[in-house]
Amino acid sequence: MMQTRNITDLQSANALTTARRMTVIHPPSFSPFIVFTGLARLRQHLDLLWTLIVHRLKVRYKQSVLGPAWAVVQPLFLMLIYTVIFARIARVETGGIPYPIFAYTALLPWTAFSSALTAATGGVTSHADLVKKVYFPREILPLSYIAAALVDLMIASIVLWGLFLYYGVQLTVFALWGLPIILIMITFAAAVSLLLSALQVRFRDIGMAMPLLLQLWMFATPVVYPLSAVPEQWRVFYTLNPMVGVIENFRRVMLEGIAPDYVSLGIATMVSLVLLPLAYMYFKHLEATMADVI
Amino acid sequence: MNDLEFNRVSKRYLVPEEEAQVAAGSNRLLSKLKSLRKSHKEFWAVRDVSFQVARGEALGIIGHNGAGKSTVLKLIAGITSPTAGEIKINGRLAALIEVGSGFHPELTGRENIYLSGTILGMSRREITSKLDLIIDFAGVREFIETPVKRYSSGMYVRLGFAIAAHLDPDVLLLDEVLAVGDAAFQTKCFEHISRMREEGKTIVFISHDLHAVESLCSRTILIHRGELVANGAPREVIAEYAEVSSRFTQSTAEVVEGTIMSKEAAITSLSFESAEGANHYRTGAPLVARITYTASEPIADVKFGVYFYAENGELHSQFTTEWDGERIDLEPGIGTLTFLCPALSLQRGIYYADAAIIKRDAADGVVIDWQPQRVILCVDFGKTVRGMFYMPHEWHLARHGETKDESSAENILVETS
Repeated sequence: MMQTRNITDLQSANALTTARRMTVIHPPSFSPFIVFTGLARLRQHLDLLWTLIVHRLKVRYKQSVLGPAWAVVQPLFLMLIYTVIFARIARVETGGIPYPIFAYTALLPWTAFSSALTAATGGVTSHADLVKKVYFPREILPLSYIAAALVDLMIASIVLWGLFLYYGVQLTVFALWGLPIILIMITFAAAVSLLLSALQVRFRDIGMAMPLLLQLWMFATPVVYPLSAVPEQWRVFYTLNPMVGVIENFRRVMLEGIAPDYVSLGIATMVSLVLLPLAYMYFKHLEATMADVI
Repeated sequence: MNDLEFNRVSKRYLVPEEEAQVAAGSNRLLSKLKSLRKSHKEFWAVRDVSFQVARGEALGIIGHNGAGKSTVLKLIAGITSPTAGEIKINGRLAALIEVGSGFHPELTGRENIYLSGTILGMSRREITSKLDLIIDFAGVREFIETPVKRYSSGMYVRLGFAIAAHLDPDVLLLDEVLAVGDAAFQTKCFEHISRMREEGKTIVFISHDLHAVESLCSRTILIHRGELVANGAPREVIAEYAEVSSRFTQSTAEVVEGTIMSKEAAITSLSFESAEGANHYRTGAPLVARITYTASEPIADVKFGVYFYAENGELHSQFTTEWDGERIDLEPGIGTLTFLCPALSLQRGIYYADAAIIKRDAADGVVIDWQPQRVILCVDFGKTVRGMFYMPHEWHLARHGETKDESSAENILVETS
């Protein structure tokens, strides 16, 4: 049985009801059209998305001593750990770039991606009570976590800037590519978290598997080692992971000050742009029965 | 002009049957994986229900727990989707299903107003314009910058309702919300809802509180086992509800609410009567309850029980034949047991009653049959003024210094049967 919310907003011809919006609810039917009706509904609830983003940030640091400094602690300590392992012990070849800055430049977007995904995947199930009692577009829940993770990314960027000063890294005009690269990452993170958060309503296993999955994913992405360390014959397959295009190119434009690799960036863009509407459709498809199974 | 229309709406739930599979001793993972594919039991929570609510009408929806009332509400609110049919809503809808929805304990009262308000569908600008009204309605002005985790439960509930009360919808859905807060706040909520009615808002009200339904609603529908069985004036539909609930459709379930039943005999009905006829019960007036049963085999030494519950399901009083000494042995066939109460002590209100047959000799009393909380008893005003319950009583006045015999009938001012 196809189960998708299908709400059509009609403007009634009746003069009495011109100010009112007529909502007609039908049994769910699966069609790409739900992307548009879904977005129209989402637009009516943008204030909720905004309130929840602010709420995430406020709640996260209430009753914590370090507060927003936690946004920096994670990438910073990971950088220190990886520096010890991969620069002192394993000696990864970074092409002359000091390892701490090599790692931090990649860990900055990676931790944003991984913490966004971890929180967003549980976004719907952690609000089970609300989902059972109130209607609002459910995608707001995972999306609000992604937006909140981006604020952490901004805070952690201050440390990157400090490291650049310390190591005397000169930003070039290619650093401007940093913004579209982050946008691609957000698109991809949104797509993946829509898929996973909807699936988690049915299968709590997803949440259990997330830490392991993200760990594996990080090692399948050039975060702690450069792309050049990957054998040539595996590159094509390897680059299908959109995070490769994101992380490698973020490092290229920020740290190395050179143009991005358009092939890997193109793949990441394509995958994200195709995946997002599909993921949204799938999410809306499952949304119709979320309250029944959560 | 209808603000809400239900056109042949049905809702089916698929209930997984994994428990049975695990019990069969099969591999747990395997059965779990199998259950992804099939073995779902169908359950129609709402079946082919149609009704309309005109603008300015207040519709009450009544029915037993699990009859499908809440599903109807969830369908209107958009929380879940129908399996068949069509629902039309004209105008802005607000569902007040539970107060304090989306409150976060760490946030202040003010922050929670914005959070809960936007969850319920208000815009931030709208909330800002109503902020003072909400704070004053809830009466929490001094604590508005305090995290709500430090609020008393009363303050919490008041704030939750205050937000919801200021949604200003065209169509308002209410689910048991009046059952919150203290008496004074409940009155305030009730007045607020009555005012919304006067303003011409369309209201859909789901409640166990039949008195609230009667005083608030202009029309009532009765949902029984997912189907609409009555639609009309509240008083008549409530009477119909009482009627429906006393007719037992014999369930073959051997386990109800965790009680295992042996089913050698079955209770076929539990009905009430009074001197004024069915459905007219008054505090202080005599009440007769009749339990009819069918026994399929001889059962020695049983006891019957009649139980009365408050609206919230709390047990009010329990009476069993055991206390009155006489031994009861059931013969195969049909019988009636009559319970005579000379003066009903229950105050005006709605009560639920049920009956059970229990084996006496067994250590923990094996239940033969029990039909939980099925029958409704609506009690009207009678011989009481205020308080929790009525007591059969007499008044005697003795004037000191007079020579008359105190026990003479003339001194009894009031005698109560």
